[in-house]
Amino acid sequence: MAEKKNHFRAPVSYTYRRKAPFEQLLNHMEKVRECIDILGKGLVKYYKGDYKNFSEVAQRVSDLEHEADLIKGNLRAHLPTSLFMPVDKGKFMWALREQDKILDHAENLVKMLDMRHTKIPKELQDVFIDHAKLVMKTVKAMEAAVENIRDLVETSFVKREREQTKKLIHKVHDYEWKADQKKYEMTKGIYKLEKKLDPMDVYHLLKIADWVDDIADHAENVADWLRSMIAR
Amino acid sequence: MAWSIGANDVANSMATAVGAKAITFKQAVLIAGVLNFFGAVLVGPHVTETIKGKIVNTGMIVDPHVLLLGFIASLLAAAFWVTLATWKEMPISTTHSIIGALVGFGIVAGGMSSINWAKVGHVAASWVLSPIAGCIIAFFVFKLIVKLIFAKDEPVKYAKIVGPFIIGVTAFLITSSLLLKTNLSSILGVTELPHVLVISAGVSIVVIVVAMFLLRDIEAKSIEDYATVEGIFRKLQIVTSCYVAFSHGANDVANAIGPVAAIIPLASTGEMSPIAQIPPEILALGGVGIALGCLTWGRRVMKTVGGRITKLTNTRGFSVDFGAATTVLIASKLGLPISTSHTVVGAVIGVGLARGLEAVDLGVIKKIIISWLLTVPVAAATSAAIFIILIAIV
Repeated sequence: MAEKKNHFRAPVSYTYRRKAPFEQLLNHMEKVRECIDILGKGLVKYYKGDYKNFSEVAQRVSDLEHEADLIKGNLRAHLPTSLFMPVDKGKFMWALREQDKILDHAENLVKMLDMRHTKIPKELQDVFIDHAKLVMKTVKAMEAAVENIRDLVETSFVKREREQTKKLIHKVHDYEWKADQKKYEMTKGIYKLEKKLDPMDVYHLLKIADWVDDIADHAENVADWLRSMIAR
Repeated sequence: MAWSIGANDVANSMATAVGAKAITFKQAVLIAGVLNFFGAVLVGPHVTETIKGKIVNTGMIVDPHVLLLGFIASLLAAAFWVTLATWKEMPISTTHSIIGALVGFGIVAGGMSSINWAKVGHVAASWVLSPIAGCIIAFFVFKLIVKLIFAKDEPVKYAKIVGPFIIGVTAFLITSSLLLKTNLSSILGVTELPHVLVISAGVSIVVIVVAMFLLRDIEAKSIEDYATVEGIFRKLQIVTSCYVAFSHGANDVANAIGPVAAIIPLASTGEMSPIAQIPPEILALGGVGIALGCLTWGRRVMKTVGGRITKLTNTRGFSVDFGAATTVLIASKLGLPISTSHTVVGAVIGVGLARGLEAVDLGVIKKIIISWLLTVPVAAATSAAIFIILIAIV
């Protein structure tokens, strides 16, 4: 006989999941937070032309992406149709998916940056760094909005908490918009220098601008799904 | 049988409190043991009556010897089935097994007409209705908590007012159930309905004042101090846990004691008198059995179940406890044997539907329905088989 097995009849225990979905979404978000912190610092150094240790940054980001993937996979695998959640399950999964895309893009970005060390022209350094910072701020704002889920769940989505989350979501939109404006400034700057620069450099600079900005776009998408998740 | 009930069903009903960390395992076992005993002795007779004499029409079977064997067969069949289910970890109910077993023996002994089908119908209906009732009550209690506490600008302040009031309602229900048509009420000489209501109201007011007094020092640390709200409900949940244990004793003691209550007079006098009172000693025996069950085995079960449901916070646990216990207590007063654990599941789903839980697995409903469909026929068949064997031997 299996000694370790406890024998009892307990229908109550079938009602619950061992791991709550929102808790896991927040765990996933923690991975995003950690990853974006590392990426933000690494990016600023890279822009300044300091490529030392960048491979390690790339490796760490890649590891975090993998850890987050495991959480995502686990969450997806354990949401059967019989599970009842206080929010739309589809929207919940979309929020998770977009949150995961942040990490995917972060990984692609660092891998590419690590493959070819593209020098950022002196004239563009400031605007590049500003852009990176705005993107990081967008993600930070998204983290704050997602974190408010805890209070939402605790109070079973009362109006006050929903309004708070909405305010946090507005901040995400604000930063994302600012990041977009910065990106146009960057692109304009790159075109201005196109005669001076090596074509391969131009290509890469444009790519960097795009890929960094993508991170902010996906953070905004997470916020949008969150918004529709809590809407009545 | 009583031991098995104590070990499993008590754990089921107390697990919400333990899972929500309102009480420790030791406290849960103690509360469950003591209050189950009182519930069984004081409010137990109604349901025991039903099991003892209202399922099988005892007037139809004239031979007391046959009746005696029949009740023994039912008890054995139910005990066997419950033990098997426990071993296999199936979410069946002791209540359903014993009713099924009684029906089985009744059909074999006296034919279809010996079963009081109307009563069986009532009981079966109550099995469907009790989880739904638990669900509805828990839903509204939780909605009330959300509307009156969480939606306010100062949740902690309102928790200190609303909490004691719900506890007051609990006290009112318990006292009135104690005083309406029970042994206690005849001892105290309180039988008139208005009297009972006045006394119950008095008790609940006292409880409200005491609860408010005990909570007076709690202050909110910030405006959104939900942790403190939960802390208040952690204290209040101790009361509702007692409520659950009490109601559980009142209802489930009959599963074990009902047949025994029929056997003892049969064995001693050789006659079945449907009007005979159920002696308090037998109820006490059942109560002790249940208490022993949860003292010995309940801890282990509770630990596992409680550990699985840690996501249940105190406000949720409170709503579940209140919804389930109220349903079970009312059913006990009506003499309907229902399943406490299934009612608890209903209450949990109710809170889930009120957007109170991160996730509720509705698959459990299917499992429970299967267990309904399975338990009654199987227990009936087993009981019939044992009965035939017993008749052949004796």
